[in-house]
Amino acid sequence: MLSFYRWLLYLYPLGYRREYKDEMISVFRDAQADARAGSSSARISFRARETWGLLVGAMHEHICIICGSHRSISFTRFDMRPEFRFPRSTVLLMSIIFGGVILAMEKANTIQVKYAAGAGSIWSSLPWFLGFMLLSACAIVVLIWGILLVLGQTGTHRLANIQPCPKRTE
Amino acid sequence: MTYMESLPLTEPVLLVLLSLAEQPRHGYSILKDVERMSDGRVRLSTGTLYGALRRLLDGAWIERVEEDESPRDRRPYRLTPRGRRNLQLEVERMRHLTKLAAVRIARREA
Repeated sequence: MLSFYRWLLYLYPLGYRREYKDEMISVFRDAQADARAGSSSARISFRARETWGLLVGAMHEHICIICGSHRSISFTRFDMRPEFRFPRSTVLLMSIIFGGVILAMEKANTIQVKYAAGAGSIWSSLPWFLGFMLLSACAIVVLIWGILLVLGQTGTHRLANIQPCPKRTE
Repeated sequence: MTYMESLPLTEPVLLVLLSLAEQPRHGYSILKDVERMSDGRVRLSTGTLYGALRRLLDGAWIERVEEDESPRDRRPYRLTPRGRRNLQLEVERMRHLTKLAAVRIARREA
């Protein structure tokens, strides 16, 4: 998990990484040690929370850079207008994708253990495995999306109703 | 950043400020204190924590405590006078709100 965490930190802007990377890794190590002492559900919750926190944090930092100033985004919650909501299906699809990532990591771990024991070379079967996983993931997402489309639960119909954001007066 | 621009504070940011109001703390200490203060309800990820710390540093609400003996990966933070004043204003705003809510609910029940 620590190497995965380090990898996710590369999603942050360079300046941010230089400033906070060492501290974040140190805090993560301590928090991970706490989570290891807990139940398996606490460990899963910890991993999900950290992954999600880094993804959202990195996105937020990039938005700050694009906006030109860190101070343009305050401490307040994002003000999403009521007509633009993420559909409930987003949560389902993101959960499936997250589950797929976890499964892929577990599978990769299993393969690593198996081939480290000298069962043979990994390289001949790896492209087939990756291709199979990619196609499977795409097929599942398309299938679920199709079902949601038939049920009218994709939320895309809301995009047609969005009005331009009115300018705020101070 | 003015105080009014940042109202109301999100719960994690408020808890981080409350944690630093007592004493200077480093990242992991803040993380644990926030969890303790909220009875385990608010568990910050490191991404959320350092995002909040970065914004608070930019707004000069907090500052790093420069200590020669503290390692680079365990630098403590503390509230600035500005941060403390804004925290007091936010707590005052919340106190007014809860008082108002209590009056309104009592009036409805009467």
